[in-house]
Amino acid sequence: MSESTRVRLPLTPATTPPPSAKACCHEIPRHTAGADAPVVALVGAPNTGKSTLFNALTGSRVTMGNWPGTTVEISRGVWRTTLAVPTCDCDNCTCAHDEEPLAITLLDLPGAYSLDAHSPDEQLTRGLLQDGPVDERPGLCVITVDASRLAHGLYLVAQVRELATRVVVAVTMSDIAAQREVTLDTARLSQELGCPVVATDPRRRTGMVALATAVRTTLADPVPDPRPTPFTDDALMLDDDRFTWLSDAADTATVAPGHDRLTLSDKVDRWVTAPVAGPLLFLAVMWAVFQLTTTVAAPLQDALARFFSGPVSGAVTSLLTLVHLHGTWVEGLLVNGLVAGVGMLLTFVPLMGLMFLLLALLEDSGYLARAAVVTDRLMRTMGLPGRAFLPLVVGFGCNVPAISATRILPDARQRLLTVLLVPFTSCSARLTVFVMLGTVFFGKNAGTAVFGMYVASVALVVLIGLLLRRTLWRTMGAEPLIIDLPAYHVPTLRLTGAVVWQRLRGFLKTASGIIVATVCAVWLLQSIPTTGAQSFGNVPVEDSVYGVVARTISPAFAPAGFDQWQTTSALIVGFVAKEAVISSWAQTYATEQPQPGQAGLLGDHIRAAFEQSSGGHPLSAVLAFMVFLLAYTPCVATLAAQRREAGLRWTIFGVGIQLATAWLLAVAVFQIGRLFW
Amino acid sequence: MTPGMDLASAPLDTPLTLIGVGSAVTSRRRLATLGLREGASFRLLTRTIGGGRIVLVGGSRIALSKDLVRQLRAQAA
Repeated sequence: MSESTRVRLPLTPATTPPPSAKACCHEIPRHTAGADAPVVALVGAPNTGKSTLFNALTGSRVTMGNWPGTTVEISRGVWRTTLAVPTCDCDNCTCAHDEEPLAITLLDLPGAYSLDAHSPDEQLTRGLLQDGPVDERPGLCVITVDASRLAHGLYLVAQVRELATRVVVAVTMSDIAAQREVTLDTARLSQELGCPVVATDPRRRTGMVALATAVRTTLADPVPDPRPTPFTDDALMLDDDRFTWLSDAADTATVAPGHDRLTLSDKVDRWVTAPVAGPLLFLAVMWAVFQLTTTVAAPLQDALARFFSGPVSGAVTSLLTLVHLHGTWVEGLLVNGLVAGVGMLLTFVPLMGLMFLLLALLEDSGYLARAAVVTDRLMRTMGLPGRAFLPLVVGFGCNVPAISATRILPDARQRLLTVLLVPFTSCSARLTVFVMLGTVFFGKNAGTAVFGMYVASVALVVLIGLLLRRTLWRTMGAEPLIIDLPAYHVPTLRLTGAVVWQRLRGFLKTASGIIVATVCAVWLLQSIPTTGAQSFGNVPVEDSVYGVVARTISPAFAPAGFDQWQTTSALIVGFVAKEAVISSWAQTYATEQPQPGQAGLLGDHIRAAFEQSSGGHPLSAVLAFMVFLLAYTPCVATLAAQRREAGLRWTIFGVGIQLATAWLLAVAVFQIGRLFW
Repeated sequence: MTPGMDLASAPLDTPLTLIGVGSAVTSRRRLATLGLREGASFRLLTRTIGGGRIVLVGGSRIALSKDLVRQLRAQAA
């Protein structure tokens, strides 16, 4: 059950003061906090555990990660709090155990080091807290501050305390601080900052009750006076005042060793970011991820495939026979369409789960932030900062959130260039097709073939980036790399499990909807005859509307070695979503030769198609097909995200580049490859 | 010219004090919010690929690229 929603500005949260802060005996709606509920904003520097805290408080599933820029939109959730009270004087009290319930609307804002907005996601935070109308601002700000580097999180506290708003500071990462022998006196810090300070551990969900108590108590108090500042407009003088204030507060409240002690994280970083070892380790880690994914998941995948093509298809056929629908169009739609398509999708659950697990472990451990340092030089050749690597990595999971993640980039031209490059990152939906074709055509070397596609994906990003950088983007300046490295964490089961489940569920939710819709559309098009000799639902596929359209387009792919209409039709379906490519194949071949229970022969059909269309060079043709699949438009959802971030003209421009690149590369791969294989 | 040395020439694992930030205003403010402002004590942890450095300051580990490293000046603390 998700109780959060993602929203974009303008926000119109409820105003302060909260009328229900001291009331009880109210029904709390399960999914909403009600229009009069107090609104609390969760803000803080990137990677201070803000989204983890949001999830712990609301039970939601916002994307979390141990790297900067995880939150790029505002999430809204319901934080159900209870506050122990000595008595309750409501008539017919319904409060249990002397507790006052209160539902709070909690907003998870993008990470911000300050209110000096350097990027669009930081502008969101500034817009809500400082620039928006006073009566639309949240009633209270909870600011997360990392205990292990207190001073660096207090700059934002200093700025927010200059506004007329209530503030509660939630101190996180106390375990890391303890490892560095830093001790923090929260009571002293509270005195110095002039607001409540609560120690929490969102990863282990401790300190949540204390935080709720502090927030509710503060909500019931009047808005405090802003922190006094020098009467000047000089930004540097104001900065000096803030740094003096926060340094005094940090020095008073903490006891730390005289200098930064070298931690295990530091020793690891010496190797992980080193000039030679760093890139080698990066490549080794990426190769291991894809090798592990394919080899471990393959047996599970085979077992699931046998299950769906055997017992499940058989059971549905038997059921249809019982109700006298055997041999009708209903059987075609259900057995060859839905069971084959959805079954094929479900066989990829172990593969996707493992992939998401490994990426989540890399994220949660803190390695991906180091990967941004390692790839900075490469990104710089395209005029992009190392931070641009982060959305590109997200793209290897799914292109849609990756395009949103480009908002962490401060420069509009860098953002646009990254938005155009994201579709060349090989998303997980493409992985399903690569794994299937790799298994069919390359056998034991499937893992290496899939890894090769990821290397090709990185090469494509670099080459297209260089091309654009030297033409349309040649006047763009390069931003220097400044990246705040999070400490390494031992990933927690709860956090990693939550991230994996969230992504897997998202994949299944999106894919299943698309698969069912596409299967029905493909079935409909395959059922409509193009000649008067056949009737609806009783027509060979190649004579249907589907077959005729695919055959019309097919000759364009003859130079690339895959002009079989069945292959071309899969590419047309893949334009909608790559998740549907395999299901459309399953549907096409099963419909062409209706043999219930034999969808496992799909690989043989595909192999034969490539053998025939390539004139005896199936390996070259399938490699060309995989390259085409890698480079052409990922899905309509990505196009929608691109349009949102870059506008229609740039989206069309991007589609043009993708199609041209895909076709030219596919032709080159086949024509060169056929000389060798 | 600010005295001292740029961070590209500064030794690793040695206490240093930042005495000059010659970068653009945007980078300067960004560095300041991360704790790297004139007068700050810090150490260089390691040299990264491409000639950058990882800086240890106020409990934070900040990776900086080569061009920025050349614009920051420090002296032994």
